[in-house]
Amino acid sequence: MDQQQQQQQQQQQQASMTYQEFIQQNEDRDGVRFSWNLWPSSRLEATRLVVPVSCLFTPLKERPDLPPLQYEPVLCSRANCRAVLNPLCQVDFRAKIWACNFCFQRNPFPPSYAGISEVNQPAELMPQFSTIEYIVQRGAPSPLIFLYVVDTCLEEEDLQALRESLQMSLSLLPPNALVGLITFGRMVQVHELSCEGIAKSYVFRGTKELTPKQIQEMLGLMKPAASGQQGRPLAPPDMAATCRFLQPVHKVDMNLTDLLGELQRDPWPVPQGKRPLRSTGVALSIAVGLLEGTFPNTGARVMLFTGGPPTQGPGMVVGDELKTPIRSWHDIQKDNARHLKKATKYYEALSNRAAENGHSIDIYACALDQTGLLEMKCCSNLTGGHIVMGDSFNTSLFKQTFQRVFTKDYNSEFRMAFGGTLEVKTSRELKVSGAIGPCVSLNAKGPSVSETEMGVGGTTQWKVCSLTPATTMGIYFEVVNQHNAPIPQGGRGAVQFITQYQHSTMQRRIRVTTVARNWADAQSQIQHIEASFDQEASAVLMARLGVFRAETEEGPDVLRWLDRQLIRLCQKFGQYNKDDPNSFRLSQSLSLYPQFMFHLRRSPFLQVFNNSPDESSYYRHHFMRQDLTQSLIMIQPILYSYSFYGPPEPVLLDSSSILPDRILLMDTFFQLVIYHGETIAQWRKAGYQDMAEYENFKQLLQAPLDDAQEILQSRFPMPRYIDTEHGGSQARFLLSKVNPSQTHNNLYAWGQESGAPILTDDVSLQVFMDHLKKLAVSSSA
Amino acid sequence: MAEMYIKPGNQERGWNDPPQFSYGLQTAQSGPKRLLNKRVPPPQLSGPQCPSPGIPPPLGHPTPPTNPAPPPACGLTPPPLACKTASTPPSQSSLRKAQTDSPSTDSEGEPSVDEVVALLNWVLTACRKSVRKQVCDDVDKRLRVFEEMWNSGKLSLPVKKRMNLLVQEMKSRNWDAADDIHRSLMVDHVNEVSQWMVGVKRLIAEARNLQPEHLGTTDTEQTQSDTPVDPNPE
Repeated sequence: MDQQQQQQQQQQQQASMTYQEFIQQNEDRDGVRFSWNLWPSSRLEATRLVVPVSCLFTPLKERPDLPPLQYEPVLCSRANCRAVLNPLCQVDFRAKIWACNFCFQRNPFPPSYAGISEVNQPAELMPQFSTIEYIVQRGAPSPLIFLYVVDTCLEEEDLQALRESLQMSLSLLPPNALVGLITFGRMVQVHELSCEGIAKSYVFRGTKELTPKQIQEMLGLMKPAASGQQGRPLAPPDMAATCRFLQPVHKVDMNLTDLLGELQRDPWPVPQGKRPLRSTGVALSIAVGLLEGTFPNTGARVMLFTGGPPTQGPGMVVGDELKTPIRSWHDIQKDNARHLKKATKYYEALSNRAAENGHSIDIYACALDQTGLLEMKCCSNLTGGHIVMGDSFNTSLFKQTFQRVFTKDYNSEFRMAFGGTLEVKTSRELKVSGAIGPCVSLNAKGPSVSETEMGVGGTTQWKVCSLTPATTMGIYFEVVNQHNAPIPQGGRGAVQFITQYQHSTMQRRIRVTTVARNWADAQSQIQHIEASFDQEASAVLMARLGVFRAETEEGPDVLRWLDRQLIRLCQKFGQYNKDDPNSFRLSQSLSLYPQFMFHLRRSPFLQVFNNSPDESSYYRHHFMRQDLTQSLIMIQPILYSYSFYGPPEPVLLDSSSILPDRILLMDTFFQLVIYHGETIAQWRKAGYQDMAEYENFKQLLQAPLDDAQEILQSRFPMPRYIDTEHGGSQARFLLSKVNPSQTHNNLYAWGQESGAPILTDDVSLQVFMDHLKKLAVSSSA
Repeated sequence: MAEMYIKPGNQERGWNDPPQFSYGLQTAQSGPKRLLNKRVPPPQLSGPQCPSPGIPPPLGHPTPPTNPAPPPACGLTPPPLACKTASTPPSQSSLRKAQTDSPSTDSEGEPSVDEVVALLNWVLTACRKSVRKQVCDDVDKRLRVFEEMWNSGKLSLPVKKRMNLLVQEMKSRNWDAADDIHRSLMVDHVNEVSQWMVGVKRLIAEARNLQPEHLGTTDTEQTQSDTPVDPNPE
């Protein structure tokens, strides 16, 4: 069977599938969800579809069934292409030549492929291996590095809990990982870790900004001759020198356990009315400088544990006077946040340096008040690090979330990868507009860079310093084929994702995913294109664009932009008679989309009301990296109803779903809420669940708890957990998320209808939809 | 093998702190997940059906509801009787069992400290032949702390039992299993074990690298066979 026949067969298979099945299969196999699964064949038509051709891509999606290949990929020989040999390439088995499907270059196979034939094909040519992983054989394996940066200005209870968590983590780290410790309060201490005797530490003032060179000199990391901190990694340059601060866990675990156990609270007295002096900025810059000087271009993780805002030195977020509160949204809007710009700039510079070297920065911030995440968020957002926000280190939320950083997969390998680069190659008719995710640009110019930027653009390569199997990027494309030009050669366009990374087993690996979609003529085949719409992926992709804008633009502008996009989409795909809103209908492939946009408008990603700047930063941080399922939960929380009427069922996220004889389970990603309706709560109070004849009631009460536990067991970060009932004060978490279809304003109109009225003046989905219909069908819009 | 339990979060320090899962539950490979990720389209867009937002239609569930008699909606009328269990939602009994399985309800006897320490010392003695003295002394120091804490009643029963299990695994040269128990103890009982467990951890790591014959020549093997070992400690 030749290549073309194979392709045809594949297309036929696809044709017999529903789009839902096709979408699911592609996500499972390739970790890809495209907004459109048929692509409009011209630039003009593409812009008329409103939602850009784009995809959510999960580079390291877990694939238990995919063993890595023990050889390296074969590349196209054209210098500005270098695409990887893949199942879409045409192969001439007799001449041992393959044609690149991106640039059409004909390439001879390397000598090691001399034995290939139709019946003896390498895995990377087989259609089922559209995603494949290679192990790079060159180069020495580099160790994983974990550098703990620990705030000691904590209450004793918090410090004790943190000591224990850090000691515990030494048991979870791979034994050969290198580990280091920096502690800070008013001063910053870099601890020498030795296997024996008394360990020294180097003390730095927390107020003085130091250049990387100064830091490296003071730590004795500069070798007299080699001034070369730039350029290729000199491998571990001088183990004897680096050794003092970064040591293999299995060598220093005993001393480090003691060192951590003996960590004292910052000894400097904190006068009444003052905040402790916390030198977070200098501590982080020393951590970045230390790694930069010792292990450039090697996977490493700086883990910052902090219990309050930086209050002195570079990167300070608030002064030490307690009477001056930390900035609020109000202060920021009034341009009254004194340290905001300077601190943000400082941390951005640090983050970029870390990212350049492939190092990532995690922030574990546990305090009741804000800790400066707004200013420091770039440290994690640009380097792929985690942000975890909790009330105290002595909570299960922090402890378990921290444990989960070190979880292992089905192969007992860590679910973390380091120093990744993602490269995107496209067919000629497609260009890359940008990416949104925990990455920085690598400024790789080339013919497939689009002039239209979306997200981080102007490049086809990005650095993602730390990845988990869930890390998901939004990638945006531009169709550049001219209008009225014929459908491009081959009938379909292709995209190749090449992810190079350091696996937790220290190997370098390359994962390659090559996908193709058919081109369609948007005039004659618009129904097909509509049917190929992935409304879930599109909602998340548009939301990421919106949140990306919200970081720089005013909130109302972003909402207006989103509204305009939604109206245009409905105008394009709705079925209606002009100026008759009642005639408006959307087909099934778009039926959930307006609802997603309605909830997105109300979400904490776009609304800052009721959230501190730190909270907004935290929510956005997670939204910009999670996979489709989790992102969608964040946009529109999941609501399930449990009753005697049947098995648990999904119900509308609507006040009408709040009924007396139901238990509701709501998942907003950051919170899990179990809500007992009025009657259920009364039955529970009366203790029916303890009577043998009401065993079924007991089971009904248990069912949502079991489902909640399943979610709690795997979610990262751990969500807050709320068990409440009708009339309970915590019921507000549910009430604030449901669509307020019944409010105090229209209660009487509903008469005896069931459901729970919400005391709000917010617009309901019904009103929102009415407006949307009116605008969509309007001939003047 | 591992402890399976869930304890409540710290509500004093964190609002709505989630429950805490034991190491065993966190690492257990659970079966196929029941994904709660379905949504219902709003009635207005999907044609004329369901104009009232009252009770949305159930969506695509494998088993249809079979219960014809809804319970009364208000007052303290009792819930429907248990004969209709067929219609109640399926619950994951395994997890529920795990939840009630509290870490300290086990009534079986306490392992002997001497026996546990003897086994640890047997491994340490074997290590002394090839491992640096300072490391061995350091391990020894921690084993003493462990013994002392045990003797002065500072260790809970679950910790003692799991330590006994751990040394049994060491005795059978199941280093991976021993290491896993050490990890579970660090995660579940860090406040009790953090001071000395690192010594046990190092011991496991060093013993793993020993030539098997170094470990074979030991006299504790006999002492062990006289004192019966709890066959089912968990």
